[in-house]
Amino acid sequence: MTQSRLIFSRREILAGFSAIAGSSVIGAPAVLAQAKPQVVVIGGGAGGLTAAKYIAKDSEGKIAVTLVEENVNYQTCFHSNLYLGGFRDYASILHSYDKVGSNGVQMIRSRATVIDRDKKEVVLRDGRRLRYDRVVVSPGIDLKYDSVPGWSQAAEEAMPHGWKPGAQTRLLRRRLDAVPNGGTIVMIAPPNPYRCPPGPYERVSMMAHVLKTSGKTRSKIFIIDPKETFSKQGLFQEGWEKHYKGMVEWLGPKVHDGLKSVDPKSGTVVTGFETYKNAALVNVIPAQMAGSIARDSGLANASGFCPINPETMQSAIDKLVYVLGDAAIAGDMPKSAFSANSQAKVAAMAIRAELTGSRVFPARYTNTCWSLLAPDDTVKVGGAFEPRPDKITSTVPFVSKTGESADLRKETQAENMGWYGGIIADMFT
Amino acid sequence: MQRLSVALRLAGTVVPVLMLSTSAHSSGGDRELGKHLSSECVTCHQISGRVTAGIPAIIGLPEDQFIAMMNGYRDKLRDNQVMQTIAVKFKDDEISALAAYFGSLKRR
Repeated sequence: MTQSRLIFSRREILAGFSAIAGSSVIGAPAVLAQAKPQVVVIGGGAGGLTAAKYIAKDSEGKIAVTLVEENVNYQTCFHSNLYLGGFRDYASILHSYDKVGSNGVQMIRSRATVIDRDKKEVVLRDGRRLRYDRVVVSPGIDLKYDSVPGWSQAAEEAMPHGWKPGAQTRLLRRRLDAVPNGGTIVMIAPPNPYRCPPGPYERVSMMAHVLKTSGKTRSKIFIIDPKETFSKQGLFQEGWEKHYKGMVEWLGPKVHDGLKSVDPKSGTVVTGFETYKNAALVNVIPAQMAGSIARDSGLANASGFCPINPETMQSAIDKLVYVLGDAAIAGDMPKSAFSANSQAKVAAMAIRAELTGSRVFPARYTNTCWSLLAPDDTVKVGGAFEPRPDKITSTVPFVSKTGESADLRKETQAENMGWYGGIIADMFT
Repeated sequence: MQRLSVALRLAGTVVPVLMLSTSAHSSGGDRELGKHLSSECVTCHQISGRVTAGIPAIIGLPEDQFIAMMNGYRDKLRDNQVMQTIAVKFKDDEISALAAYFGSLKRR
């Protein structure tokens, strides 16, 4: 059977099914297996892993799903700030892909390097090619190493970003633990759009918590931010004032007059108004863009992210491609694991409908982002979203209020921990 | 409220057929719709019925109880911003569908 013959129309597949059902030909399952529509999912994170599971499970074997992921374990970026702050151990944010197969997903441990959209094949690092009827692209972000003058990939050890999971997460923790009393921490916050909008500010809260509880109260954290405002700003600033008075200083662009350069060797940060010398830790969170496979496959626009159809998460550039999570331009939805998980379910429904004719329901999207300020003091922001012709649009937004009771904040933290357990169970089992 | 929602569903075009097949021991919610809608819930509420920290189990509940809880959030009588946001989007037939689906699940 030739490669091109493997591509069946839905009618051919259905005809194949009924022909097989009506006879008792030995070896029919092999024919069936080849006739199955093929979905390849690139990236085993909150978007890709969720999509792979729901397509495989809900299609009940009618669609062959292959997940391409190079890592043996998945380290969640979400709650990595809680690891930094000592609220979780590292093992608790690390998850094995061992059970992914139980939902009928075939996993290939490799890196997908490019999508040959003309041939409808995903090309793997080792040269293998996977034919697809639909491909789901969920590669997360890449960092723009050239977006901070003086910083580079070679400098990510000296000035860690901690914005992609793994070694960087642990490096940042070690570097934080090594900050002496009186030492300065400088965070270079990222410009929009970026992964996890409240993330930098929750991270600062966790850094301040570690400094405070280890008696290093003469230390100080400066945030050099290119943005005029940031997510949950009033809530964070209230929390810093309450828990870490005098330890955190946020500087917007009007105050610092622009980041001019950093020097990784000397730990120097130069802004228009100030030079910070000998910083004990400089945490550079650079500008971001869609993971390379999305850009190299021609799925991104000039913004570096991928335009999608708000109804389905289908790429606006290629109808056989779906882009999920941080790599997508998802309108009002923030780049978060919760968003990616929500988008994956919409895409899974759309893909099943296209390939098997299953029932279609209106797309709904949801997101909540919880942020821990201090022990048992957690705030949240979120909402419901729906597709509109121009973009995924926020319909029912909510955010925690300043001055909430300690009991409510504690409850919100319990919810945060519960959500983590929930999304992990949803992705991995 | 319950009677009204049943009346609305009977007036629909697609739901009644499915409803008849599943309504013997339930309020008649469309389980297939419920299964679809449930994917939004199980980002937090574990489908196994297991509980982590502050997110309660929602499977195996009597349908009336499930519907009353969701209506409580939708009418802002129950106090949780996430749940109010989720619930306000649901129509009566969708809440019944969720109640039927989650109510049918057993703890694993």
